[in-house]
Amino acid sequence: MTHIAPLPKEAIADPELRALIAEAEALGVPDDLFPRILARAPEQAVPLMRALIMSHAQGSVDHRLKEIMRILLARFANDKYFASLRSNKARAMGLTEARIDDGCFAYEDDAKGFSAAEKCALRYADLMFLDANQIDKAFYDEMKRHWSEAQIMELGAFIAFHYGMQMFMRSLGATAAG
Amino acid sequence: MSADPDAVDAAFFDELRKHYSDDEIVELGTFIGFNLGYHTFFGTLKFYPLFSPDGRLVSQAESEKIYGAAPVSLGKSEAAE
Repeated sequence: MTHIAPLPKEAIADPELRALIAEAEALGVPDDLFPRILARAPEQAVPLMRALIMSHAQGSVDHRLKEIMRILLARFANDKYFASLRSNKARAMGLTEARIDDGCFAYEDDAKGFSAAEKCALRYADLMFLDANQIDKAFYDEMKRHWSEAQIMELGAFIAFHYGMQMFMRSLGATAAG
Repeated sequence: MSADPDAVDAAFFDELRKHYSDDEIVELGTFIGFNLGYHTFFGTLKFYPLFSPDGRLVSQAESEKIYGAAPVSLGKSEAAE
């Protein structure tokens, strides 16, 4: 039980929010708990849900890489709720639990087969809330060797937004889904 | 939520409820989470204030000269220390 109770699904009348909940449930991230809590602030629920889904499942960066980054961040945030969710889309694209664990804990190991671009993106997520001072000009110069500026903004905004929502769900005492 | 998330516990929410409704707490919590994430990200991009202390619109290069390598907005305020 979260510190703030989610609204019952049937109490959510906004068709746009209901459609976003259905979209999220099909994706697998988030399940209905997060939007049912958000629905208590209805003016913000729709844009927040849209941003969460769009930043994760759309854009020009490989969704599988962003799924690993999302789980890495949730584990770092100690948010058991988001850490337990999995993208059905990424799974269908071949992402496995072993690959997720490698991406979270051993991406620098050359034997794990992550490309230089993937390592850089995973390091971006790893360092952002561990030691943001290391994300300096030299770090961005390295990022630009592998990613366009638009992709770097996509990744940075994705990291910032998902980590923020993960810390929010952690604060509510949300537990692993399922 | 940022400095000591473990301190945001059931007792803390009980205290919050003395002042805010559950709906307002969700609004505050998402607002804090959003800003917690984005200010850290923006901090890595080294933004500088768009205006000089006397209100002139200045370039990022000129702003860096005015405000120094570490803009005040990224540091701790005296009140927070």
